[in-house]
Amino acid sequence: MTSEVMASLKKDYIYNLMLKGKREDGRAFDEYRKITVQTNIIDKAEGSAKVCIGDTQVLVGVKLQVGAPFPDAPDEGVIITNLEMNPLASPDFEAGPPKEDAIEMARVTDRGIRESGAIDLNKLCITEGEEVWIVFIDVHVLNDDGNLQDASSLGAIAALMTTKIPASREGKGEDMMMPIKDIPVGVTLVDIGGELMVDPGLAEETVADSKLTIASNKDGSISAMQKTGEGMLTQEKLLKAVDIACAKAEEIREKYLLNI
Amino acid sequence: MKTENSNYVSINGQKFEIKNIIGESIMANKPEKFIDENGLRLDGRAVDEIRPMTIEIGVLSRADGSCYLEWGKNKILAAVYGPRELHPRRMQKPDEAIVRYRYNMAAFSVEERARPGPSRRSIEISKVSRDAFAPVIMTKYYPSAVIDVFAEVLQADAGTRTAAINAASIALADAGIPMKGLISACAVGKVDGQLVLDLNKEEDNYGNADLPIAMTQDGEISLLQMDGNLTKEEFKRALEMAKEGCKKILEIQKEALKKKFASREEVVESLVEIAEEKPDDVQKEIELIKEELETEEFDDLEEDVEQDIEEGIDVIVIKTDESDIEISEDEFTEFNEDDDLETDELEESDTLEVGEKI
Amino acid sequence: MDREIVVPGQLLSENVEESGAGTYVKEGKVYSLLYGVANLKNKISVIPFAGKYIPSRKDFVIGIVFEITSSNWIFDIGSPYDGLLHVSEYPKRVDPSMMRDIFDIGDCAILRIKDVDATMKIELTLREKGLRKIKGGRLLEVPSSKVPRVIGHNGSMVSMLKKETGCEIFVGQNGRIWINGKDENMDKLSEAIDIIIRESHISGLTDRISHFLQVNEEDNKKCRNEEDEVDTEQKESWEKMTSVNEKDSERVEKINDTGRMVDQLLDTDEN
Repeated sequence: MTSEVMASLKKDYIYNLMLKGKREDGRAFDEYRKITVQTNIIDKAEGSAKVCIGDTQVLVGVKLQVGAPFPDAPDEGVIITNLEMNPLASPDFEAGPPKEDAIEMARVTDRGIRESGAIDLNKLCITEGEEVWIVFIDVHVLNDDGNLQDASSLGAIAALMTTKIPASREGKGEDMMMPIKDIPVGVTLVDIGGELMVDPGLAEETVADSKLTIASNKDGSISAMQKTGEGMLTQEKLLKAVDIACAKAEEIREKYLLNI
Repeated sequence: MKTENSNYVSINGQKFEIKNIIGESIMANKPEKFIDENGLRLDGRAVDEIRPMTIEIGVLSRADGSCYLEWGKNKILAAVYGPRELHPRRMQKPDEAIVRYRYNMAAFSVEERARPGPSRRSIEISKVSRDAFAPVIMTKYYPSAVIDVFAEVLQADAGTRTAAINAASIALADAGIPMKGLISACAVGKVDGQLVLDLNKEEDNYGNADLPIAMTQDGEISLLQMDGNLTKEEFKRALEMAKEGCKKILEIQKEALKKKFASREEVVESLVEIAEEKPDDVQKEIELIKEELETEEFDDLEEDVEQDIEEGIDVIVIKTDESDIEISEDEFTEFNEDDDLETDELEESDTLEVGEKI
Repeated sequence: MDREIVVPGQLLSENVEESGAGTYVKEGKVYSLLYGVANLKNKISVIPFAGKYIPSRKDFVIGIVFEITSSNWIFDIGSPYDGLLHVSEYPKRVDPSMMRDIFDIGDCAILRIKDVDATMKIELTLREKGLRKIKGGRLLEVPSSKVPRVIGHNGSMVSMLKKETGCEIFVGQNGRIWINGKDENMDKLSEAIDIIIRESHISGLTDRISHFLQVNEEDNKKCRNEEDEVDTEQKESWEKMTSVNEKDSERVEKINDTGRMVDQLLDTDEN
């Protein structure tokens, strides 16, 4: 409760640093904190990844079930993304059903995966109109030190890339790897007093006027975007943000995903 | 899918469908034997041997105390927040802190995806686990506050509630919560008509009894559940086995805690040095620092009224950005007893409102 | 061994007389209540590795306003308990409509704890010399258990920090530290405080920190001298500033010396 309140002194401090081109932890505006991606750490899940960005930690597990397709897409598998802001992860989180922040973050993660065509949904069809694979992507937040969104997006794609479809277990033929067609990476920027910074820390996230997440694909195209927060962004800022985000996404893809 | 893979077991002539801990039907085949001719179990353990346990302390930066524990294939993360302010206010106990315990399973922690959110099972486990810690946590030290314990099952492999309690116990110590001692927990079960300590997945699925127990270091039992079928004689022996198991676990817990700082003697030294500074001295020093601060702001209220008011205006201007606000001295009324009384009453209702609202 | 890492429930002594802070007695024996270090000087006490700041009467703290009612400002004081500052504890008359103009949400103040009741209701006051709203500067947070380290023996550390950086410093018992001064000096100071927290175990800490700050100072001076050739005005103001500080620093020096002596004494004592 009380931890939600940030001293205005601290806000001023972060703002003043920005004016001098600096950040609280000494990073450059376009610099991420240390990222680590560990895959296959939950045997019970068909695919899993633990992502740390600085002290932020999320665990993503992918589970598959056989179910009915949506009537309007009888030959496509189904993706369901859920994000739990566990009370274990932050003094600000409360137990209970997902609140709007958690739902928004889950949906942005979902859109990045879905719209990029990262998963070949046709290959997840077992019997057209009857049986398809349902892919559950569960994002479990373990420690919130800012920028859960990028950790969540990165964890989701990393977990999917390691996912084995348990077809033999369910009597649906041979096991196969998740058919991955693209590798979308979400990059979040915050606008603090008119300057754009990637990978906001907890304090930066609190101070920011607005936040922008851009998920981009291997070919540099964009698959999902979301602006959050009450601030406004100029057209010029947006275009600049897209450039930064695509470049950063490329870096992250190279470094942490292509080797999975 | 569920029906075609169901298994049945016969207990006392009655046929039961076997389900695992979260109610899924069991799909694997039941092993013929759980204990071989050498007295060893399927995973090679003796009947009174616990699975290997590893413990990491202080793994979450936001929590006041935390612990990651692996026990067999169980992966548990426990965090403690508090003591912290409890809202709503009506839940507060004026003479002690309350303890909340939340046992939760990650959706991907079990074979078949678990629906996120509390289930009847997890609510029950949370309750009995909270009760298990009641005898040791010194809640009296923190009136009106709350101590929150969160235990997340990241991967389940039989015995998650006892694993969660073992992790929570360490997270509580790590958070600096005063306790009379640690709590240790393990289960005893029965397979092939024999009692075994710390059930693994198969034993849990096909066994004839499950007896999870938590105890204090003195062997006093603070959690006990049981299902299945045990004779009185078996129960007596099972208790003894659980006690031995908890003793071993307590040693692992203690060792993990001591190891965390063991390589850092300096930390120990510095703590002692700090403690040797008398609290009174610190107080004096703080007072000294404060005196040195140049703080004319509120000095000599009576004599410096004008300057004070200017200060006041100054503040207001900054905050509201309206330069035409002025405060005249007339608006300041004299303090008197009645005034104080009135404000006191106001305060009462205010604080109530604060609590309710939140 | 007179210093040992202990866990809750560990047997410390069979002599009830020895039961000190952080211990409890059961059936004539003394046990630890905490995870920490047992100190066997005089009585046996256990100093925890972690723990929250628990307010007590007359403590000085730095609070952050997080809620405002018609007659109270509610401060987060970095403890399990919120602090209430009633309007009557503000040094001036306050009209209820002006509450927010005096302290808005997020504002900080140096406060004193006036009273703590049995249910841990915390009453704060500003009606004392030196207590005030904080404007400008920076707010740092350290574990409240490390506060004595930042202050140093007889205030030696804080005096030295002040002298070397020319910053104002206020250390609240709740682990919040307010510093104010030139930007670059505050950078140095917060770095120094980081070192104090991180390396609080190393003996002769005051000397080390002093050295750290002086090295930086010399660097600064070098730069300054170079700049001076083009900018004499700045030099003047620098001199003015140092002269203002001079009368303070003499006294500070003395304290500093005693502090060092105490440090040295303790160091030899340990070895």
